[in-house]
Amino acid sequence: MKLLLVQPAPFEHGRMGLENALWLSEPVALTSIAAMVKGRHEVRILDMRLEEDGVLARVLADFRPDVVGASCMTTDAYQAQAVCYAAKSILGDAVFTIVGGHHPTLAPEAHDIAAIDAVCIGEGEETFAELCDHLAAGGSRDDLGAIAGLAWRAASPTGTQQRRNPNRSQARSLDTFPLPARELISSYLGRYFFAAATPLASIQTSRGCAYDCNFCAIWEFYERKVRFLSAAAIVDRMEAVAEKFIFFLDDNFLSHRGRIEEFLAELERRKPGKFWMIQGRTDFIAQHPDLMKRMRDAGLCMVLSGYETNDEGTLAALKKDNLRENNLKAAALLRKLGIWTTGIFMTRPDFEAKDFEAMWAAIREMKISIPLVVIHTPLPGTQGWRAERHTLLTEDARFFDLLHAVQRTRLPREEFYRQYARWNQATMGSSRESLPLLFKRPRLTAALLKGVPTFVERLKSLRRVIEDPQSYLRDEADVIPREAGGARREEEIAAA
Amino acid sequence: MSQLETATPPASARPLPAWLSALRAEVASHPAVNHLLLARLATGPYTKSDYKSFGLQHYALVGFFTRYMEVLLMRAPTSAEKLWLAKVLVNEYGEGSDGLDHTQLYRKFLTSAGTRVNEEFENELCPEAFAFVREHLRICREEPFLVGLGALGPGHEWAIPKMFSHLIPGLRRARFEESEILYFTLHCEQDLDHGAWMTEVLAEQAQTREQQEQVRRGALLSLEARFRFWTGVERRIVQWRQPEAVKAVAHGVYGGSKDPARLSSPGKLADLKRLATRYQEGGVWAP
Repeated sequence: MKLLLVQPAPFEHGRMGLENALWLSEPVALTSIAAMVKGRHEVRILDMRLEEDGVLARVLADFRPDVVGASCMTTDAYQAQAVCYAAKSILGDAVFTIVGGHHPTLAPEAHDIAAIDAVCIGEGEETFAELCDHLAAGGSRDDLGAIAGLAWRAASPTGTQQRRNPNRSQARSLDTFPLPARELISSYLGRYFFAAATPLASIQTSRGCAYDCNFCAIWEFYERKVRFLSAAAIVDRMEAVAEKFIFFLDDNFLSHRGRIEEFLAELERRKPGKFWMIQGRTDFIAQHPDLMKRMRDAGLCMVLSGYETNDEGTLAALKKDNLRENNLKAAALLRKLGIWTTGIFMTRPDFEAKDFEAMWAAIREMKISIPLVVIHTPLPGTQGWRAERHTLLTEDARFFDLLHAVQRTRLPREEFYRQYARWNQATMGSSRESLPLLFKRPRLTAALLKGVPTFVERLKSLRRVIEDPQSYLRDEADVIPREAGGARREEEIAAA
Repeated sequence: MSQLETATPPASARPLPAWLSALRAEVASHPAVNHLLLARLATGPYTKSDYKSFGLQHYALVGFFTRYMEVLLMRAPTSAEKLWLAKVLVNEYGEGSDGLDHTQLYRKFLTSAGTRVNEEFENELCPEAFAFVREHLRICREEPFLVGLGALGPGHEWAIPKMFSHLIPGLRRARFEESEILYFTLHCEQDLDHGAWMTEVLAEQAQTREQQEQVRRGALLSLEARFRFWTGVERRIVQWRQPEAVKAVAHGVYGGSKDPARLSSPGKLADLKRLATRYQEGGVWAP
């Protein structure tokens, strides 16, 4: 069979968001799935984030796949649906369409549309492989009940109905999965980046998270389990990529001291000579300065952490299980070690002007290299979603990009966005304070230099949008109800 | 009773010749007919504000189809072809639309999307709208007759019902009334007839391989212009939402072209009409 796996663009071409300015990661979910089936089927991967719109239709018409799969998070949910719609439009019902990823897993009912035949629940490798083998063997589309981890549209006397099979066990050792089929994205390699770090490879060394923050769905997606790739396998993969920079996609790389020590021992022995970046919690950083130093010496160059807030009460309310003191210590330690920091901070819809000011001050105090300020958003599938769903002004998935307030704001919305849009300007001092890091690690700086001009250009582009309060208000036109402060028409937005 | 007033004969029930079947399939799977903008509108919760941005660009094309037809009609080699084209033209002028011509129907849609009085004339058009009109007038005026027929038949009448069928679910989701989207629903029906009539002409006129290739060439020229047009429209929808983002795209942030010309507008509807009229009358297309 011929299979086409598609990473949709996060939004319409021409639109700006964090995805196309700060971080564009290779589609590891798709290369991992492709690796499971490439021996038995002809597989292609399209990364529509790096293609012009017309390429999808041309590939569909020329390649004529039997199965089209698309992966998505929440904000690009409609984009994945559009990919499936286009596939059906060009190839008719002969093509089988499936979506997977976080949003389909946590809200499969949102993908119960005519253009989508099935939804993959949870991690997709085995489910997708089993589905393709079933279809290739002539299995019926109306007889998918035996494939665990699938929700599918089944014919019923009253039309079609989404039927959900039992979940698939997510217990398989990560070491037993084949290596991601990166050769299928060879034409895109070299174009992925994080900030100025490019070319960038991405590797997932663990799945799941042991914490249960109420704004995050990672632990729910992986059913509270955490699995790790062995140290040897991680370094094998590091050695296998040509890129100088590697991003470990783990949602929390810093979760287990013993594992990190094993990894470092392997790394120190084999010395692959890469710069690598991770996501990790500040409490671990603050409590393990010795380990952080070893990681720095082994190539760690950036840590992305959810600092969220410096207000103890809010940290507790978010079930973050962390303290302000750890945020401060972690930021200071990373700075001292010459490790770049990316910090995510969370404003809330009930913020007033003084709360915004307090947040800017906290960020400046910590001297975070790349501060990212988002708006608290109860994402589908999280505890927050279940608790606060009744307060949502919209369930339009596009607004769950953490850059829009999907709940009522205490300030008038135009004032809220006016305050929020200042985050980049107001925290610029924090980034400037990180410039001395450039002199601490000359080899790293030299490697980053190549990506600096385009990063600066991308950042300038992003700033134009995120610093323009009108963009947020225009996005909300006809979506956020007028009684909740939503603007409706151009004149009103201009007046605001 | 004139020939025009006689009942339009139904399209032949004969099976399509193989070359026309192949062309129909090619049109149906063309990126213009399945542009991601259309798929997005079909599946995503776009709002009336988005459809207003969409409509203000698309409106530019609405009044011009009859002009292409008029130019092509003048060049039809025999009265038989002239009659078929005239039938389509009469329909386009408003027959079967409760007396409203297509331009009036479209204005009704624009009003329901929230446009102010005369906003469609004050609106700055994307370069792709100008290019689309120019390309079609050029095809109808300068290319062989069958190329023009390919552009207006398969390129338009076969393509439009499918393209508009993508739009209709999204329009309904955005809470437009049926009467407000009559322009689109009507075209889904009418253009099936128009397409069938055109097919009759094509089957009769394009007998040789060379002639058939001319028809195909016209269809593809039209669809390529259409693809670029949808891309321009999508950019205008984004531009309304994120006015500053369009400048960003000029930097090639998203794998896009670095051509700054696509960001500027060559003018408004009156400018387009002036250029088109001059060109239609044999002049050059020079701003």
